[in-house]
Amino acid sequence: MRWFISLRYFLTHKRQSLVCIAGVTISVTMFIAMLSMMEGFTDKFIIETVESSGHISIKDEPRETRTPILERAYTHPNALLALEGVKPRDTIKKINNPTGLIRTLETMPGIQAVAPEVYGSVIATYGTKTLNLNIFGVEPEQQIRVTTIGQDVIEGGFARLRTTADGVILGRGVADLLGARLDDSISLSSSTGGKTTARVVGIFQTGVTPVDYSRAYMLLNSAQTLLDKKNIVNEIVIRTDDYTRAEGYAAQIESIAGYRTESWQESNANFLKIFKIQTLITYIITGALLIVAAFGVLNILIMAVLERVNDIAILKSFGLSRNDITLIYLFQGLVIGLVGSALGLLLGKLTIEVLRRLPIEMEGLVKVEGLLMSEHPSQYYSAFISAMLIVLVAAVYPARRAASYDPVEVIRGAH
Amino acid sequence: MALTNPNAHSTRAAGFPIGNRPERGPLLRAQNVHRVLGSREAPARVLKGVSLSIGMHEYVSIVGASGSGKSTLLYLLGGLDRPTLTDDDGVPFDPPSRVFIDEHDTSQLSEQELAQLRNEKVGFVFQFHYLLKEFTAQENICLPMLKLRRLSRPAAMERAAALLEQFGLADKARRRANRLSGGEQQRVAVARALANEPAVLLADEPTGNLDRGNSERVAEIFAQLSSAGQAIVMVTHDTALAAKARRMVTMEDGMILRDRPVSGEPIAAGDVGQAVSN
Repeated sequence: MRWFISLRYFLTHKRQSLVCIAGVTISVTMFIAMLSMMEGFTDKFIIETVESSGHISIKDEPRETRTPILERAYTHPNALLALEGVKPRDTIKKINNPTGLIRTLETMPGIQAVAPEVYGSVIATYGTKTLNLNIFGVEPEQQIRVTTIGQDVIEGGFARLRTTADGVILGRGVADLLGARLDDSISLSSSTGGKTTARVVGIFQTGVTPVDYSRAYMLLNSAQTLLDKKNIVNEIVIRTDDYTRAEGYAAQIESIAGYRTESWQESNANFLKIFKIQTLITYIITGALLIVAAFGVLNILIMAVLERVNDIAILKSFGLSRNDITLIYLFQGLVIGLVGSALGLLLGKLTIEVLRRLPIEMEGLVKVEGLLMSEHPSQYYSAFISAMLIVLVAAVYPARRAASYDPVEVIRGAH
Repeated sequence: MALTNPNAHSTRAAGFPIGNRPERGPLLRAQNVHRVLGSREAPARVLKGVSLSIGMHEYVSIVGASGSGKSTLLYLLGGLDRPTLTDDDGVPFDPPSRVFIDEHDTSQLSEQELAQLRNEKVGFVFQFHYLLKEFTAQENICLPMLKLRRLSRPAAMERAAALLEQFGLADKARRRANRLSGGEQQRVAVARALANEPAVLLADEPTGNLDRGNSERVAEIFAQLSSAGQAIVMVTHDTALAAKARRMVTMEDGMILRDRPVSGEPIAAGDVGQAVSN
């Protein structure tokens, strides 16, 4: 009977009901669309970063610091030790026995692929143009297993590094800035005096602007010669079976390798923090929209209660309790929430599809040719649950107010 | 229009226990009932120790000047309100201020239980019909039955249709309540009050908002219901209507002034408070 009364009120006052539903629908639509856009951008950045740079990287920074020789000689805790004229040792940063470490890592559970890298800064010159860039020396066969760089090559091919002497693969941005094209020869010189003329054997585009505008790949040997790091490996890049668990694997690997090991989350901590803040702001804005819609529901339900004080009195006179009256109005909130949210979900889905098809080209942190819309079931769940909760909370006050009317006072004309 | 007691008839048909209520105590009993309204600083003592019993099949009119406490007494008898239990000093009245509906002490019942008791035992008719305008006449009558849940919805709709037919409103069953005339609305309100076959019909100024023709029609309905065995307690200023009851209780200043059977003689204007304007 409560449903019967509630639905009849709802259906009879179509305009009020539609206004309430429209408010909830628009809020849920905005909630889903904004969250989808924000998460789409984040997902794109994460996926591209992870796929182009690997899940985990072992750096050439040993974890174990050497105890100064005097402290080793005089172990007494109260000994006063003083050294004069100490000069810093010119240590070469490298990972010792990279081949052995790679072999060990390849046997670890959860590790899919491992690749060595050497990197350093070089100056690239093409014609009159010069550019600072980071050169990465890699073994192509191993590199394409730890990153998707092989698939990101849009001109030429990654395998050509092996077949072309001093071949180089440039990022799309680097190539554009230099004005270099496939098969052009560019001059590379390092700070240690190494120089070479490299042939552009490929151009890659990851979509991550910082990567595409600063990175180039060469064969490991060629890069080691250019950077004057003969037989040196600076970094070992690892691909795991689940990039979301990279932090756990990194800690485990660090204890085995003895070198600082960084997960992609740690490497991109600043960006991830910004994304978190952006997502939080999105939630606040969309949450505010829902709250505005809820105030609309609250307002209209209060008006409905005030208009039906006599109905409430008579319903109570023939036996409806406070709970019954409360439920009648809560049901109305529930129906508004259900219908509004359901329509909002459909409209949200539609909005995502429309926005996804808009041909908008943008180049920021990542380069995209349309709005990045990500779709996770969690967006729909959270929009639906938030809308239902907020609308129900909004319905509580009018429902309780309705239930609180004393029928005798109403009949006497006090209300 | 010849009315049978819709309750007596369908009670047997539906097997409702109310129709077979064993003869025990009075149907309604007010025992030294006090009712104080307003704030502690400015209390309004509306009822000052009223005692009254209403038995099965009685037709009682309560008359008196405006402000004499008759409507308050009616609401208390119907469990719509509860008596004040203690005096200004917090001392319980002696004998205790209590209202019993079918032997149930209303002051001891929870809000839920009291609502249930009203639903089962009492039917209210007010001066204003208070029909729910979003519902048809038939649906308005159905609502108390749907709350009671003794009948399925189709059976409740059927009974509502039967009641409307008895009240000469069969053709208005599917009409929205706000599209009925004042007299029709009040007849629907009476039908709604009878929907759950209440033990007693409580009417507060049932003709107070009607023209002469419709007032007479309602009076006639009440008389016929009473003849058919329906217990009725009615508050009224209408002398003609009050005279149709078999017992008349006259109230003054929150107390019962007279409680006597109606002899058929003309009723003094003072008894029904005609001289006192609202």
